[in-house]
Amino acid sequence: MSRGWANYSVGDFTLEASWDIEPGQVTALFGQSGAGKSTTLRIIAGLVQPMAGYIEIGSRVVFDGNGGVFVPAHRRRTGYLTQQFHLFPHLRVGANIAYGLADGRSAAGQARVQLLLRTLQLEGLEDRYPWELSGGQQQRVALARAMAPAPAMLLLDEPFNSLDAELRRVLRSELRTMVVQSGIPTMLVTHDREEALAMADWVQVIDEGRVISEGEPLDVLGQPGRGRVARLVGVENQFDLVIESHNPKDGTMICMGEGIRLEVPLDQEGASPEFGTAPRVPIESDAARINGDSLRRVTVGIRASDIILSSRDLQGSSARNRLQGVVSGVEAHPPGYTVSLDCGRTLQCHITGAAMAEMSIKPGQELWAVFKASSCFLIQD
Amino acid sequence: MGSSAGIVYLIFIGVPLVALLVSAVRQGDFLGSLSGDFALTALRLSVVTSAVSMVFVVLVGTPFAYLLARSRSTLLRVVDSLIELPIVLPPVVAGVAMLMAFGRQGVIGPALENAGIALPFTTAAVVFAQVFVAAPFYIRASRIGFQGVNTEYEDISQTLGVSPIRSFFRLTLPLAGPSILAGLGLAWARAFSEFGATMMFAGNLTGKTQTMPLAIMTAMEGSLGEALALSVLLLAGAVLVLVSLGMATRRRWTGHL
Repeated sequence: MSRGWANYSVGDFTLEASWDIEPGQVTALFGQSGAGKSTTLRIIAGLVQPMAGYIEIGSRVVFDGNGGVFVPAHRRRTGYLTQQFHLFPHLRVGANIAYGLADGRSAAGQARVQLLLRTLQLEGLEDRYPWELSGGQQQRVALARAMAPAPAMLLLDEPFNSLDAELRRVLRSELRTMVVQSGIPTMLVTHDREEALAMADWVQVIDEGRVISEGEPLDVLGQPGRGRVARLVGVENQFDLVIESHNPKDGTMICMGEGIRLEVPLDQEGASPEFGTAPRVPIESDAARINGDSLRRVTVGIRASDIILSSRDLQGSSARNRLQGVVSGVEAHPPGYTVSLDCGRTLQCHITGAAMAEMSIKPGQELWAVFKASSCFLIQD
Repeated sequence: MGSSAGIVYLIFIGVPLVALLVSAVRQGDFLGSLSGDFALTALRLSVVTSAVSMVFVVLVGTPFAYLLARSRSTLLRVVDSLIELPIVLPPVVAGVAMLMAFGRQGVIGPALENAGIALPFTTAAVVFAQVFVAAPFYIRASRIGFQGVNTEYEDISQTLGVSPIRSFFRLTLPLAGPSILAGLGLAWARAFSEFGATMMFAGNLTGKTQTMPLAIMTAMEGSLGEALALSVLLLAGAVLVLVSLGMATRRRWTGHL
């Protein structure tokens, strides 16, 4: 287990971090660069000293601002992976992996290196120099090097950033498997939503040094209910609409605006599940909702991957929203495509390469966008 | 245009060097001149004093260069820009300055004399003069070498359980090694060829302060043959330094840092 909190500030920037990670679990820090994610990792690793805090790694206290405890980085037993791998260029692969082993040259040390080479599919590469490896191999060596001294916690700082999309997915699942099997608590820094969804058990959205939302990955990153989180996560479709009518019986309401009409969930409490930890946004009472004007305007979000494209109207389906439109653009969005559909407003829809080929989607084509009411969510500022 | 300029330059540099070799051969008895007491004594003194100088330069210069490379303090920025002053300062001025410090009429010379230490015109003064003029070459090159080693490497080394001091020896020093060796080569060459400051501060005493450059100067007044032989020896030494620098500073991983 690994948990703690830390406050740190430099200039105008203030960081307030806290975390609690179970063995074999991955917590992702999600946010833009400069949000304080990497600094949090460096604080845990002991490379940056916080102004205040308390840090436990594997139930050992490594920092206690009140108790005057500061365990230096080289005694904290963390495995730290960076975006550029930083393999030591003067050492061959085998020596890189053995670097952190106290007995790297002994039989036991060499056996450990061999085991890691096998586990990470690096056999036969131990006498290569780092620059003689592909990017994926370099990251595997960096991971093997970090794992060799049996770290009590893994700190991953955008470890897949400099790799191509396909390799990322492969390494992601390998790393995920390794974390679960080894039972090492892991903190992952990323600004890639897909990566956080694929790897994390828990997500913290960090903005300007503060956690503005946290929870299960799908709850936090799927339908982010707050404007700031939605912007950071990158909700592809956001529409400013006006509430036309409420259907409390169905738990939905109808929203209109500039050419589109959507059936969306009622704007009640619980529309955004991460409110539990983030500061609550005041929600007006029912009376205010009926009488006042303040709530008649809403922002509705729809994820591009929640929209089904169909060449004809899907009458008789359970989906509450069916919009007809004209394809205005197609863009590659690995592994699939993003289709822009002009339905009065432009809808961004993600589809797979296979779907793209089967439907032979081209600009100018007429299509229907179909999605459930529950795929729509309200974004509050 | 560039190539004709280059040819002019190469002729300019090449003619004197070739002339030196030709004259030395014409004088004959090259080995005889070198194996004389006069030449051997100067050679031995130059080798010993420059070696001792380099030990000081490395022991003090290495940690200082590392500090300069890593520190962000304004004070050290200023120090950093002044570190190369001895490179541009005329060596004779350096010699005068050292006399004014450690000489009999110097600022701290009398105090040293009271303590039984007399520096000027001793072999120690030769070392002082060499360190003074040569150290900046080493410190500058080492600092650049250390700056080329990304601190992320050192961070990772520490997270792998290796203390900062051991990280320095296992990681930073090898990675900065080519630059450091280049600096050491230049500093050594500079110390070996030191003339002006040595002349001023240490004098020209055979067997005590008369290093090779001073011996050449002295020989020029008497036996040209010896002067030529010593000059050719120094020229050969310089070429050797240049070649070994090229070899010592090339690594398989050069360019991959």
